[in-house]
Amino acid sequence: MLLAFAQFIQKTAFFTALRGSGYVYPAILSLHMVAIALFGGMILMTDMRLLGLSLRSYPVSEVIDQFRMPKRVGFLLIATCGILMACCKAEEYYYNDWFRLKLALLLLVALHAVIFRRSVYHRAAGLDPGSPLPAGAKLAASISLILWTSIACAGRGIGYIEPPLDKIHAQFFSAPVVAPPATVNAEYLH
Amino acid sequence: MLIQFVNPLNSSPLAFPILECIHIVGFAVSIGTIAIVDFRLLNLGLWRQTPAQLAKDTSLWTIFGLAIMIFSGLMLYSSDPDMYYLNWAFLLKMLFLVLAITFNYTIHRRVVASGASTGRTKLVACVSLLLWMCVVFGGIFIGFLNPTLDLNKV
Repeated sequence: MLLAFAQFIQKTAFFTALRGSGYVYPAILSLHMVAIALFGGMILMTDMRLLGLSLRSYPVSEVIDQFRMPKRVGFLLIATCGILMACCKAEEYYYNDWFRLKLALLLLVALHAVIFRRSVYHRAAGLDPGSPLPAGAKLAASISLILWTSIACAGRGIGYIEPPLDKIHAQFFSAPVVAPPATVNAEYLH
Repeated sequence: MLIQFVNPLNSSPLAFPILECIHIVGFAVSIGTIAIVDFRLLNLGLWRQTPAQLAKDTSLWTIFGLAIMIFSGLMLYSSDPDMYYLNWAFLLKMLFLVLAITFNYTIHRRVVASGASTGRTKLVACVSLLLWMCVVFGGIFIGFLNPTLDLNKV
């Protein structure tokens, strides 16, 4: 079902053209990485502020509130580029374990947001007066750091898995491959 | 004299991808913190402090990120120097990297310190963002060029 959908997406005229487009595909990947550089830094610095390791001349609430919109815009840009690339090779990605791990980690990021929304991110103003930050905020920041760096690494891993050709090009593998007789090989050796 | 040397990075298939991950985190930290200062120069946020104070807050992270990025980058380069040397995307990337770092610690630094919010300040912020963008684009395109070295002609 999901596999059929992946095959359908990949075979649409748009993604077929994008896949064979030469330099458009790497341009999308580059844009993906540029957005990671520009906006990933904001995620890291928000976490570092919660841990008290960066931007210490700003209250926690200002860092969280003012990075919120740019981080959302950045995520939208990163995700759009990512989805475009995934759809180009949807069938391969369906089998790719790093891609599956990346999706699972993104689900954990959503879960992280739901869990810590009330206690940390939406009551940031309450975090300011007490100078030592509560343990919950530091926990949220540490988990966020681990999740986002893992997502970046999993993304890099996607490109290192060889697609299972026997599954993707099943039609070519339907006929049993006949091995040449051993004697022929032996003749070539001499 | 030929020196027999086997790069230990090439003896494990895991070394290169792990270095790439470190490289990515390094540039997210360095370019990310520079971009935060640029967004402040463009008056987009973090108004409480002057750009100079903000840059002071993030400068250690920028240097830390740059160090990780450059060191891991050199190690990646060492895995196949000939290929990189003959790759025009890599050469352009190095050009933009030198320009971006030089720009960051000269003109950019002076404008950040002056604190004035003029059209010129915003231009400097945009140039900085554009230079770093070019570095990233160059890095990605390295892997998408056809090999320049034609072994039949050597």
